[in-house]
Amino acid sequence: MVKYGLFLGCNIPFKAPDIEQSMRKVFPPLGVEPVDMVGASCCPAWGTAPSFDKGTWCALSCRNMAIAEELGVNIMTGCNSCFGILSEAKHFMHDPEVAEEAHELLAKAGRTYTGSADVYHITHVLHRDIGTEKIAAAVKFRQDGLTVAVQAGCHVLWPTDAMAIKEENPFFPHMLKDLVEATGASAPHYSRIEACCGMGGMRTTSVDKSMKILAAKLRSMKEEINPDLIVTGCSSCYMQFDQSQEQLRASGEIDFTIPVLYYTQFLALAMGFDPAQVAAISAMDRSALIAEIQNPARAVQEV
Amino acid sequence: MSITLTKEKITATVKIITEYGGTGIFKCVQCGACSAVCPSIKAGFPVLCRLLIKKLLIGQLEEIIEEPSSWACQACCRCSEVCPQGVKPQEVVFAFRRFQANELAISTASTTSLIDLHATGHAAHTTTYRELRAGVGLPEQPPTTVSDAKGLQEVQTILENCLMGELGFY
Repeated sequence: MVKYGLFLGCNIPFKAPDIEQSMRKVFPPLGVEPVDMVGASCCPAWGTAPSFDKGTWCALSCRNMAIAEELGVNIMTGCNSCFGILSEAKHFMHDPEVAEEAHELLAKAGRTYTGSADVYHITHVLHRDIGTEKIAAAVKFRQDGLTVAVQAGCHVLWPTDAMAIKEENPFFPHMLKDLVEATGASAPHYSRIEACCGMGGMRTTSVDKSMKILAAKLRSMKEEINPDLIVTGCSSCYMQFDQSQEQLRASGEIDFTIPVLYYTQFLALAMGFDPAQVAAISAMDRSALIAEIQNPARAVQEV
Repeated sequence: MSITLTKEKITATVKIITEYGGTGIFKCVQCGACSAVCPSIKAGFPVLCRLLIKKLLIGQLEEIIEEPSSWACQACCRCSEVCPQGVKPQEVVFAFRRFQANELAISTASTTSLIDLHATGHAAHTTTYRELRAGVGLPEQPPTTVSDAKGLQEVQTILENCLMGELGFY
């Protein structure tokens, strides 16, 4: 079984541990073993060290990557921010000035970074290493007839020069679409498919402005493809879609809501795992959707 | 109000932005490709990408230190992806943000995140996570710095010895 260091970040283990549980459940049956990265910290988040000093950012990121290096594994993470932060830090370590500051700080912490561990997003591992055929074969409830609006999230798409795996055209991403369609569901294109959800620094700076672009994205989904659910590849997008739709409806910005799942939650449900473990925490009620995903009529007949 | 352009101010501004990581700023031809794809400009934060670079290139720095737009940058890097000149506008935005942060023109959200990062190793720490984790069948503590004293000590060593450590947040 191929091993990957599972980099958790902050939001997934603390705010959405059902996403963490869904990752821990889906990978082993697909032949990938997530390994704990003991002592890993925040990536560090964009608003912290990256907003002050590149060398400190790289030192903290490289300390996390050094943990994977010691374990002899590459890294996979489900958080797009963590993916972006770690990938870019690895990229910036080619700058001798930044690297010097980072290595000095790492030495004080008793860590060595060599750059031997690659950084992947979980959708990269699912798409490249596992592949859609194997995913389709592992699905216990076929999702034919369901329409999904996919949301890959910004940091897995750009900047392509810092990534080991990239979309052919990040403005028309298809990896998450392929992964969703492996379950039998359809994930049609919609015009704002690559648009930002408004989470992150934008929301911290102005909730109103963040909600405005979220509403535009939701209306695009609804009017163009009328989805049964949204599936995100980013845990931050997931939280924005889950926590903000009721507020938008209450203020009259939208007159509908669309339930949302993180990709490995959607896959875990389709693979038959217990919703109480893999899709248990949400602001929106999605019980009807979960019941439909695991509808006995969708069960794959064993031959 | 007119803006007085001086060579000294322009040189000093570009030097600061370059030192904080915005090394491509001089390559900008003001085409605006970056601004056209920026989600934060779309949302109503105008002083990013082309306009921010213009202001910096005419030596405006102290004048815009309280500008909130840079804190709304999502770091998505659409701008850097499409820039035909190799400016990497996102790195210029973050360089300007670093100038603001090191002058303590900083949002309160960042302050809280820094305190949490130093205390727990996590910027987005919560108080309710143990119950949530147990509820979905996971160990109450994730295998991170919250349950690994050595790891947390290493993070604190980095934070206390870096330039940020001198700013007095933690």
